[in-house]
Amino acid sequence: MGLDRRGFITFLVGGAAGTLFTPVPWKLLDDVSIWSQNWPWIPKLKYGAKGVTPTTCKLCPAGCGLDINTVGKRPVTAEGNFSHPLSQGGICPLGAAAVQLLYSPARVKGPLKNNGGKFESISWDEAKKILAEKLSTQKGSGNVALISGDENGTANEVLAAFLAALGSSDYYFMPSDATAYATAWNKIMGGQGQIGFDLENSDYVLMLGADLLSSWGTVVRNQKAFGQKKGQYIYVGPVQTGSASVADKWVPVLPGKESVFALGLAYYILKAGKTCSAKGFAEFKEYVLTNYTPSKVQALTGVPANDIKKIAAELIAARRPVVVSGSDFGQGSGSLDMVAGIFLNLLLGRLNQPGGLVALPSVQAVDKAPDLNQLRQNSLINFISDVQKGAKRPDVLFIYEANPLYALPQGAQVASVLDKIPFKVSFSTFLDETAAKADLVLPTPHFLERLDDAYTPFGAGAVTYSVSTPVIKPVFDAKPTPDFILELAGALGVDLGISSFEDVLSAKAEKLGADWEELQGGQAYVGDKKVFQSALALPTQILSGGLKMPSSEYPIYLAPVARPYIGNTKLATPPFGVVTIRENELKGKDFYVHLNKATAKKLGLKQDKKVKLVSAAGQCKALVNITETVMNDVVAAPLGFGHTAWDDFSKGKGDNVFNVLTVTQEKPTGLYVWNNSQVKVVKA
Amino acid sequence: MLDKEWIPEGVERCSFGKFIVWLGLIGAVLLWGLYATIKIFANGIGVTGLDNYFGFGLWITFDLAVIALGAGAFFSGFLKYIIRVDQLKNIINLAVIVGFICYSGAMLILTLDIGQPLRAWFGYWHPNVHSMLTEVIFCITCYCTVLIIEYIPLILENRKLNKIRFLHHLAHNFHVYMPLFAGIGTFLSTFHQGSLGGMYGVLFGRPFAFREGFFIWPWTFFLFVFSAIASGPAFTMLVATLMEVITGRKLVDYKTKALMGKIAGTLLGAYLFFKILDTWFWATDTLPRMGLTFDQMFNDVYGQWLLWAELGLCGIIPAILLIVPKFRNIPALLYIGAILDCIGVCINRFVFTVQTIALPVMPFDKWYSYTPNWAEWATTFEIIAYGALVLSLSYRYLPVFPQEKKLNS
Amino acid sequence: MQVKEFKVKWGMVVDLDKCTGCGACMVACQAENNIAPVTEGSNKLRTLTWMLVYELSNGKDFPEHDIAYLPRPCMQCGKPSCSTVCPVVATTKDEEGGIVSQIYPRCIGCRYCMAACPYHARYFNWFDPVWPEGMDKTLNISTSVRPRGVVEKCTFCHHRFAAAKEKARMEGRDPMHLEEEDYIPACVEVCPTGAIVFGDLNNPEHKVAKLAKSRYAFRLLERLGTDPQVYYMSKREWVRRQGDNYLENEKTKGE
Repeated sequence: MGLDRRGFITFLVGGAAGTLFTPVPWKLLDDVSIWSQNWPWIPKLKYGAKGVTPTTCKLCPAGCGLDINTVGKRPVTAEGNFSHPLSQGGICPLGAAAVQLLYSPARVKGPLKNNGGKFESISWDEAKKILAEKLSTQKGSGNVALISGDENGTANEVLAAFLAALGSSDYYFMPSDATAYATAWNKIMGGQGQIGFDLENSDYVLMLGADLLSSWGTVVRNQKAFGQKKGQYIYVGPVQTGSASVADKWVPVLPGKESVFALGLAYYILKAGKTCSAKGFAEFKEYVLTNYTPSKVQALTGVPANDIKKIAAELIAARRPVVVSGSDFGQGSGSLDMVAGIFLNLLLGRLNQPGGLVALPSVQAVDKAPDLNQLRQNSLINFISDVQKGAKRPDVLFIYEANPLYALPQGAQVASVLDKIPFKVSFSTFLDETAAKADLVLPTPHFLERLDDAYTPFGAGAVTYSVSTPVIKPVFDAKPTPDFILELAGALGVDLGISSFEDVLSAKAEKLGADWEELQGGQAYVGDKKVFQSALALPTQILSGGLKMPSSEYPIYLAPVARPYIGNTKLATPPFGVVTIRENELKGKDFYVHLNKATAKKLGLKQDKKVKLVSAAGQCKALVNITETVMNDVVAAPLGFGHTAWDDFSKGKGDNVFNVLTVTQEKPTGLYVWNNSQVKVVKA
Repeated sequence: MLDKEWIPEGVERCSFGKFIVWLGLIGAVLLWGLYATIKIFANGIGVTGLDNYFGFGLWITFDLAVIALGAGAFFSGFLKYIIRVDQLKNIINLAVIVGFICYSGAMLILTLDIGQPLRAWFGYWHPNVHSMLTEVIFCITCYCTVLIIEYIPLILENRKLNKIRFLHHLAHNFHVYMPLFAGIGTFLSTFHQGSLGGMYGVLFGRPFAFREGFFIWPWTFFLFVFSAIASGPAFTMLVATLMEVITGRKLVDYKTKALMGKIAGTLLGAYLFFKILDTWFWATDTLPRMGLTFDQMFNDVYGQWLLWAELGLCGIIPAILLIVPKFRNIPALLYIGAILDCIGVCINRFVFTVQTIALPVMPFDKWYSYTPNWAEWATTFEIIAYGALVLSLSYRYLPVFPQEKKLNS
Repeated sequence: MQVKEFKVKWGMVVDLDKCTGCGACMVACQAENNIAPVTEGSNKLRTLTWMLVYELSNGKDFPEHDIAYLPRPCMQCGKPSCSTVCPVVATTKDEEGGIVSQIYPRCIGCRYCMAACPYHARYFNWFDPVWPEGMDKTLNISTSVRPRGVVEKCTFCHHRFAAAKEKARMEGRDPMHLEEEDYIPACVEVCPTGAIVFGDLNNPEHKVAKLAKSRYAFRLLERLGTDPQVYYMSKREWVRRQGDNYLENEKTKGE
């Protein structure tokens, strides 16, 4: 039977109409709405029992207590731990992105050996063997150095004890205001204990450069204290940072001139008859009164004398004022900055007072470890300079949780110095710039995978101790560095007097009088001990440094700005931090530097123009953003960009401002300072 | 050749080879568009230049513009079949084809433009009766069906097809009922044009577009209907003229063209009266009540020149050219008037689509500008090529222009 | 348009004098709501951020310049401009609590709601979401993952609301009478300065009810008539003035 045209059309039309009466089209339509929601390439939720595990964040030195939400024992999201004094339920953008960092593409997935520029995987045993061989020739010769990026962990005690056993005292912390304070307070002023600030009880917080509410010290706890503030917050610094945006007052001061401003305040406060009992006070006072006169301070800082006078009066009138001096970007300050700030607190009678400057005791658990406060006074930049000069020749350099190749001033010099060191070992969770150049990369677990601790993070107003408990087994082949070091010591036959890292921590807890079980359960120990000071001295000789005139070859002051969401000195922008970067911070591959209309006009620069910041140390490329958040003759530049290692979330975005920071030597301490770098801004 | 048998009786067409070359050119554009279409369906709308601020861009502007310009179909139909302006029979077929191309083209673009084309039918299944877009979805699909119904008899009049008895009778019956479809079409299209305008007018969060209501409708509802019928006939006439230029044959007599121009011009004049009133009320009453000024509605990119171009250069001037018989009877001026008229309505649809969402409403927000990228252009040209294809085939094989034989003899 | 009145009206009061622009709220929101990370984040025309922190300037030159940060979630408008325009009822405001819903499997991706919302609170999935290998193990099981082609927005962490009601029922409490601490969205919970306060605007025992009545409180674009459930407050007049459009000679609300 043939099918004619009509029959065919009838069949088609009839078939089409008939199909509508079957469930087929309707079922298909229904399915479409399901498919279009759940395509196979859309990740599925992985269900499991929900839980919460408290721990302590180690992504920055602030030591926040976190509550990690888990699903089927997997960490899922991070929140602040409400009962922890340093977070009180708050969290910073890095902490909030902490869990996802477990699976960051930049993680080191196992021990790596650098074979002529290419990494090859090795086992932990091989790594131990290689290192043991290297070090067995070193024993006692002391040609080993270590750079630590962990400011407050007890792991430092294990590492320092190991280094000491090898006969080396070249233990360096990455520079920060914590190390600057240790030098100024403990070394130069003869102070005891660690400096802290009791913000919670203060009614007048004067932030001298220290960007308390954005990036400085125990930042979340600072923000919490501010949130429940009892009085005024004044921010002194060159840029309207997060602190300045909410402070009751912003006092623009040229970068690195906060100390001069402080001494300008001291002038009025001394005139008002305030005094303190530190040794050398009379001479110190005399010097301030003759050299830091209002007109001179005005000329050096750019702040009208009247404003200085007003703030001095407010400080005197406040019941519980506190002065927090620090670097705008958390490092690079000299002793003068810290001494000037401490001096104001002393003048106002604020030492170890509620709402004032406090000195907190330190506790160590490893007997064979040198005093960490002492080690904090070792200057890494001096070490770098010594190596460059050939005064020091380390054969092996350990780098623990630090990224010196990225986050030190004069990056080019640092790179050339590290090149001179024949064998470098990086203990890093991520393949950062330093790890990428190391001879061995021995991954330390993400803090959610390891046991660790934080003892009284710098800036805290009271002794605070909390522990990081492992929330998940390492998702990659990483090993806690203290454990590895203990194994290595064993292989070398070195006795550190330690059985395990956990024992060290529980011993520390015991010394503090804290309950180890409770600490592991996420409870922080808080102590109320303060250190009485008996031999404070005021070093007049450092005062001359503040009067130095600026360089005319590099006429623009560089104000680096630290914004945790972009990353910090040891962490690049985490995957979940990327969207927090603002439009006026990054455009495609270029980052922005910021200057105000007047400065831009003076330099002939327009919005979005390409420029280079050139200093004696190096240069970086950027786009111009014209904003009135920056004072005249200053260019503000965010730190955290310009990564060359890491992953697609941070690599190749913008340029690294650390490379432009220039160090100058502070007289007479010989310390290196880089919070007052000067640059030329030229069209690129 | 076989091809010859399909060409309408008594008219001349170019050689089949030449026609194939022409189709090849169209095909090249279609392929480019197809490539973009595949990219978009495979990867998502992210491959276009659209973004968070400009969720609507070239596609929606193009849709709105072609739908306005396609209004020649329903309005000519309305005049021919309901008002009985008999002279329009000379161009009504073309008007229907152009209308069909515009509407079906717009629907094709929409399948690209919505993020979940597989769920497009949700508009029927879960309609939100409060949404102007629901009205748009219903009207556009229904009216597109009507246009197909209007187009079918024309196809059936093809020399070969018409020889089939059944199809011959079918075509005849369609013709008998054409006034009914013209009526339905008029109703649907009026509401469609209106609801497109209404879509913007109801946006009370968007001061640039927001127009207070007239009963339940915002002013833009009527303004869009008005501007569509003021430009649609002009566009149909321009298409006829363009075809004449391309084919080198006379297709429609000038009298009919001038009539189309007159219709468009008269309506444009009336439209402008209301549009200017509306703009004045908006600038002096609506905006200040929102705390805004007329000047704030514009920036360097989306400047006031757009408004002056729309209302003046492409509004008042073409209205004069088309209304005044002395101008209208000069072909060059008639065509210029018609072109300006069409540009004017495109500008109108553009600003309502793009400037509406470019205007920063939050005082701390800023202006952004939008540039369509290759994927949007390629698909837009794909639709234009699709139109050219339909038009070429229709012209070659269907008796579109009743006057053609007479005018070229 | 009919405006639905609710017995419970969840709302926020954001103290802009406390927001330092740290971005913790944005990150916490992403993690809580399964928003995939992206490698390009500064181009806000393509990012997907239910919560976005804006930078406000008083427009003056240095040294008179002042700056403020404004976190912008969805305003959960009393009279939403978005939900009425949706052709497929994919977004509604009809649940007790006054949260504007977003039904992803219903959304056809026409983006009309984005065109309607003057707050830019609505986001379109331009591409399918991609998590780096393994990172999908950190997905929050309380929130679905959205495919490309649909619109999404802040829901005040609606899943937490649902969980809080469930918990209240289990404990024999009235789910219509939740305490402040029963239900807190992720951004509010993590905010380190406590700039964001959350609660039932209709419940006089909740802090927001009082704060929203402060003379320093305002809402964004109030005069458009959207009736937002998110309030802001600032003692700085210039900040309040940026909350809405004012003609030159008009006084800022509350002055």
